[in-house]
Amino acid sequence: MSEAKLVTVTINGVESQVPAGELLIKAAQDEGTYIPRFCWHQRMSPVGMCRMCLVEIETPRGPMMVTACTSPVSDGMVVDTESEEVKKAQEAILEFLLANHPLDCPVCDKGGECPLQDQALAYGPGESRFVEIKRSFEKPIPISELVLLDRERCILCALCTRFSEEISGDPLIEFQHRGNTTEVNTFPDLPFSSYFSGNTVQICPVGALTAKPYRFRARPWDLQKVESSSLQDTAHPRIEIHASQNEILRYTGVDNDATNHGWLSDKARFGYEYLRSDQRLTSPLVRRGGELVEVSWTEAIDTAANRLDLIKSEDGGEALAVIGGAQGTNEDAYAISKFARVALGSNNVDARLDDALASHFLSASVDRATIADIDDADTIVVWAPDLKEEHPTLYLRVRRAAQELGATLVVIHPRATGLDDRASHKLTYRPGGGYELLDELANGDHPEVSQAFAAEKVVALVGIASHADGPQLAESVAALVRRKAVHAKLMPLNSRANTYGALDMGLAPDLLPGRVGLDTIGCANLAASWGDIPAVIGRDTRQILQGLDSGEVRGLVLVGADPINDLPEPSIAVDALDAAEYVIAIDLFLNDSNRNADVILPASGFSEKEGTVTNVEGRVQKVNQIRPAPGQARTDWAILDDIATRMGVSLGLASAEGITKEIATVSPAYEDLTWDSLEWDHRDGIVVPIHGAQAINHIPVALQGSKAPTAKLTLHVARVMYDNGVRLQHSPSLHKLGPGAVAHLNPGDAPSIGARDGHTIKVVTTRGEGEFTCVLDEGTPTGVVYVPFNQQGASSLGSDPVVRVTTS
Amino acid sequence: MVDHPSDSHTIARYESTRGYTQGKRALGLTRDELIEEIKMSGLLGRGGAAFPAGLKWSLLAPARPSYLVVNADESEPGTFKDRQLLERDPHQMIEGIIITSIANEVHHAFVYIRGEYSKPARRVQAAVDEAYAKGYLGKGIFGSDYVLEVTVHLGGGAYICGEETAMINSLEGKRGEPRLKPPYFPAAKGLYMMPTIVSNVETVSNLPHILAMGAGEFSGLTGNADTGTFMTSLSGHVNRPGNYELAHGITWRELIYDVGGGIPDGKGLKAWIPGGASAPWFVPEEHLDLEITKDATAAAGSMLGSGAVIVMDEDTCMVKAAERVIRFFAHESCGQCTPCREGTTWLEMILRRIEEGQGRAVDLDLLVDVSDGISIGLVWPPKMTTICPLGPSAVSPIIALRDYFRDEVDSHVSNGGCPYKTQTRETSEKTSEVDRPSDKDLMPSSERGSGGRPPEVAE
Amino acid sequence: MSRWSEGTQERARQIIARYPEKRSAVMPLLYLAMSEEGYLTGDGMEEVGRWCEITPAQVLSVASFYTMYKRERTGQYLVSCCTSITCMLLGGDDVLHAVEDESGVPHGETDDDGLLSVEHVECIGACGGAPAVQINYELIEGVSPEKARQLVRWLKKARPDVVNSDEMQALFGGRTSFDWGISEKSGAIGPYPAFQPLGTVGSEAAD
Repeated sequence: MSEAKLVTVTINGVESQVPAGELLIKAAQDEGTYIPRFCWHQRMSPVGMCRMCLVEIETPRGPMMVTACTSPVSDGMVVDTESEEVKKAQEAILEFLLANHPLDCPVCDKGGECPLQDQALAYGPGESRFVEIKRSFEKPIPISELVLLDRERCILCALCTRFSEEISGDPLIEFQHRGNTTEVNTFPDLPFSSYFSGNTVQICPVGALTAKPYRFRARPWDLQKVESSSLQDTAHPRIEIHASQNEILRYTGVDNDATNHGWLSDKARFGYEYLRSDQRLTSPLVRRGGELVEVSWTEAIDTAANRLDLIKSEDGGEALAVIGGAQGTNEDAYAISKFARVALGSNNVDARLDDALASHFLSASVDRATIADIDDADTIVVWAPDLKEEHPTLYLRVRRAAQELGATLVVIHPRATGLDDRASHKLTYRPGGGYELLDELANGDHPEVSQAFAAEKVVALVGIASHADGPQLAESVAALVRRKAVHAKLMPLNSRANTYGALDMGLAPDLLPGRVGLDTIGCANLAASWGDIPAVIGRDTRQILQGLDSGEVRGLVLVGADPINDLPEPSIAVDALDAAEYVIAIDLFLNDSNRNADVILPASGFSEKEGTVTNVEGRVQKVNQIRPAPGQARTDWAILDDIATRMGVSLGLASAEGITKEIATVSPAYEDLTWDSLEWDHRDGIVVPIHGAQAINHIPVALQGSKAPTAKLTLHVARVMYDNGVRLQHSPSLHKLGPGAVAHLNPGDAPSIGARDGHTIKVVTTRGEGEFTCVLDEGTPTGVVYVPFNQQGASSLGSDPVVRVTTS
Repeated sequence: MVDHPSDSHTIARYESTRGYTQGKRALGLTRDELIEEIKMSGLLGRGGAAFPAGLKWSLLAPARPSYLVVNADESEPGTFKDRQLLERDPHQMIEGIIITSIANEVHHAFVYIRGEYSKPARRVQAAVDEAYAKGYLGKGIFGSDYVLEVTVHLGGGAYICGEETAMINSLEGKRGEPRLKPPYFPAAKGLYMMPTIVSNVETVSNLPHILAMGAGEFSGLTGNADTGTFMTSLSGHVNRPGNYELAHGITWRELIYDVGGGIPDGKGLKAWIPGGASAPWFVPEEHLDLEITKDATAAAGSMLGSGAVIVMDEDTCMVKAAERVIRFFAHESCGQCTPCREGTTWLEMILRRIEEGQGRAVDLDLLVDVSDGISIGLVWPPKMTTICPLGPSAVSPIIALRDYFRDEVDSHVSNGGCPYKTQTRETSEKTSEVDRPSDKDLMPSSERGSGGRPPEVAE
Repeated sequence: MSRWSEGTQERARQIIARYPEKRSAVMPLLYLAMSEEGYLTGDGMEEVGRWCEITPAQVLSVASFYTMYKRERTGQYLVSCCTSITCMLLGGDDVLHAVEDESGVPHGETDDDGLLSVEHVECIGACGGAPAVQINYELIEGVSPEKARQLVRWLKKARPDVVNSDEMQALFGGRTSFDWGISEKSGAIGPYPAFQPLGTVGSEAAD
């Protein structure tokens, strides 16, 4: 931005320097002159439709009326935003807009925060001379499960239609008819089922679009607000939390350059209902005679600590393990890490659930890409999960780069993805055939893709596109990209929003806080503060579960984790938790994995605690508290500190802010990080560096993999935005949006199987089987069966790609 | 237009009058030579804006491919000249397309014909097919290696698509909403965001003649600043309505009384619209002896526009005439910008109210004030608050009511309705007792789509 | 998976081939969809969306912008009476009333038999021969109210498969905007334009 040339403009007689080419409406605003507007949005292309921003500029032929939102500034431009003619135009436009606008402000959600209301007061004529009959439409009609549309209030600014077309890429809401009968609407019976629909509610300048979860629940002036970062998206989009009487009523997106540009997926926007669920755990529970009974915190902590202590004394720390920590704050994760190493004496700790990339690769790759790097890229390679499903903020950023900023986009995935329509090159491969395709690419079999790889600025987003290929493929992809483009930047992807923070805090069997390895000088430094750290690399999640099954691991602490529903191969978790000798769970809810635990401790959730989090690019941001935790629920770190204390080990954790300070002391990457700096100087967060003598600098390596399966049909299981995860289960507005138990087939495969769209089919693998509703879908290639992961009513099929499909 | 052969639309007839010789000849001329010739001819665009054709060509941005779009979306009330050119002389236009395309390195041209012109469209398609068969269009025209494809495109019923950027949107398969200028000037960012020439049928049809007779002779057809001939569509209360090709510079009196044969039944002339429904109206007391040139018309506060002249006799109700013209613009407003979408319909509603006897003394001032919000100051050329000129066009009748027919509006108010109602040209219709719609049933455009409420999609 | 006949699909492919980009074929394909089903149905719009690779909402957005894509059941004969300024000056409103009265169909509506739809329209470029009427976009100029009644009666009785401008002009028309030249036999077969690329040109006038 710094190289932008400045030009001189005169606005209402005041000269100022503004960046050349910037739109007048923005330049004026930055210089302190607000020009009223409805249809302009700084993240979308201008349309000049509402005409509210008319101003006069001087021309050789006299003053000319132009819209400030469509006029780039030029050197010497002289602008009058307050002339008599401008005022006349503003009054006229407002009178026109209000002519057909209903006067139902008292019952309108937007009342009190309505741009039309505000601008009518500031610039309007004060009265309407419109005595004719107003346009009438059926009052609010649902256009999706989440959004209602009141066409009478609509002022046809085209923000919602432009958003869905330009930004999210699902133009399901459009202008219809023309002239005075123009309305915004969907196609009949085809709802506005966009993953991003809530953004249109937020940007609607009137109360035409309202969100069901918020409707009629509050008046804007009654809301308490606090800024935070969403933990329902790996980019940690910036949000504002609005609450009233300790109840969260909505999240709104906060516009920042770093992450989300103000946009939120509907999951991040509406994913707060679970917090007020009456199913939340509110008291400590201990199993007595097979039954869970409520006990005091003291008793629960005693019970848990005694047993952990016993196992530790009998079999050492290797017999104990912790799984979880990817959903909370960095402070919680740090506490888990310290608890495992110091109190349990174990490196058996993992925040990943057997579905993630290697810890060093995820956390400590050299030349990690930032989200902003996507904007500058010549080529963007996405060989990863469908970003639209799993990484919605990244999806929007990549989409924008390909559509508006001229990047060449290469998408490689086993089936159709949300980015395909903007991809310059799309390669599709059979699940399990990833390494073969990689070989082809290495051999230059796809010259157009190789050429794209060879660009100057390459950003590669790599992740696990299919579990059939195993987690190493992504690292091999990264290695290939690096070979083709030495300066390529990498963004390794993982689901679960704070996996990055958790790994940075050492929640992996081979990592310590600050991206420090067990055998490094960093480890020795940490030991100076922590005391002895077990030297042997611990077990990862799969090995922990196998150890529980075999009895080598006797005690498990689950922190906000549900392996039975999250593992690609759930049978491992089911067997392990069945066989486990002793399980302690710290969580918000009972779930399939902790239901049979011996001690269950209620934890505080998002918005109920303060702390820091780290997103996919390594950006640390602050999350904030606006409500108390329900009942006796407490933070993870406080619970663990108490258990440790009762075990006779002092972790020395006294407050969340104190933990942040400790992290800054012991972790090279996080040094200098304070709450003050995040709250005041860096509200958009700080990308922590990975350099530093003690830290790992991981360089991806090519790894060998398997051949593509030769079976007639191969299975592709992938996460989608709405699954049957425990938080969604307790978020009624979102939970019903999941696709349910469906299996997608290419229409070409249907006849040989006898499958018909909408009918039940049976899908059988070596690891499981179940009945699914058949969806015939051109986006699924022939020979592939696609099943969305972890859906309500769906059986687990495991990750073996060999699959059979029958019709009964 | 006299003695027009009845088969003038066939290629055989056209070639018998040395048709296609200039199209072939153009292949041997350079872009610069062709631009120079057309510039020298002084040919002005005939779609309404009267932009110099040669200049338009010279402004085409260098990026390629470039496109040509022939604007045959003639829809301005009173205008029917292009229909005749399309239906009777399609090959003349095709030859003009060939010349324009060669001059502008165009290899794909489109003829956008309004959907309601189905017979003209059939004739043009047949003529295009004939030209392809002869090798005058297609791959390697006239035996050269020049490729020129022509696609005849049918509109869907929307006047606004006659606006060049709306037409481009429509051709791209989008709503016919005008684009912002800047930045979307067709010469730089037109069809598919590529450089595009948009030209009216009449403009293009002039080109073979200019090349045949030479720019000098063409521009010398009149001794006037406005060179060449122009086509005018004369309609309304005249004895001889029709299309006339005239030399610029005759007076309105000559046009209406000599060419048009005067007003039927010897009635008096009350007003006329000099250049299509968009143009501010003229009245005999002030304008009858003005010359018909671009400049003289502009100086008097109006324009020649589409060349359509609509004549209204002394018995015409000016409120109703104004309502009908404004109803048109309200119906055809694309709806994207606020003043046009809301303002035109509001004007229509007020006028209908006055016509139906619900007028108030304040209504004329309100009409003027609402118009002022669309076209600030009601000056000519308009100071638009809108994206395109459609909205400001709609206020032309209001200027006439304000300046010349204030008393007629007042008498509607004081009379409690239209004073001309009793003397309208009622034919000897027998009226049935049931279902006889009255004027009231001619609903405001806001309640009409295609003549009725916009049909809902079948649920 | 197309709902359209193979013949219509082939025509759709040919139409798309006439344009540099698929989406440009939306408007002709909308007419094609109308000719398949008599008017533009939701299914028809979804089909057009598939051919042009846009969403049904985008198709509807385009279709509803224009007046000629009829999204309600429309009669075999669409009677369009011009009531724009010139036609109004010369009695166009009376012609509309005559058509409504004779047919019993108010403008904007269709009779129960699906035979006639009546509408009033803005200028159709026939001002030199005002007032003017179109049947399925086949033009008749210089129509008097009485001739309009005869026209309606003729449509109801003769029920021609193809309506043709020249034939109807001879039967029901008056003054024309200009000399029409030699007459033609081709005409419209439904409430959409008769145009070669759409395959909607009827070649025989009815008896």
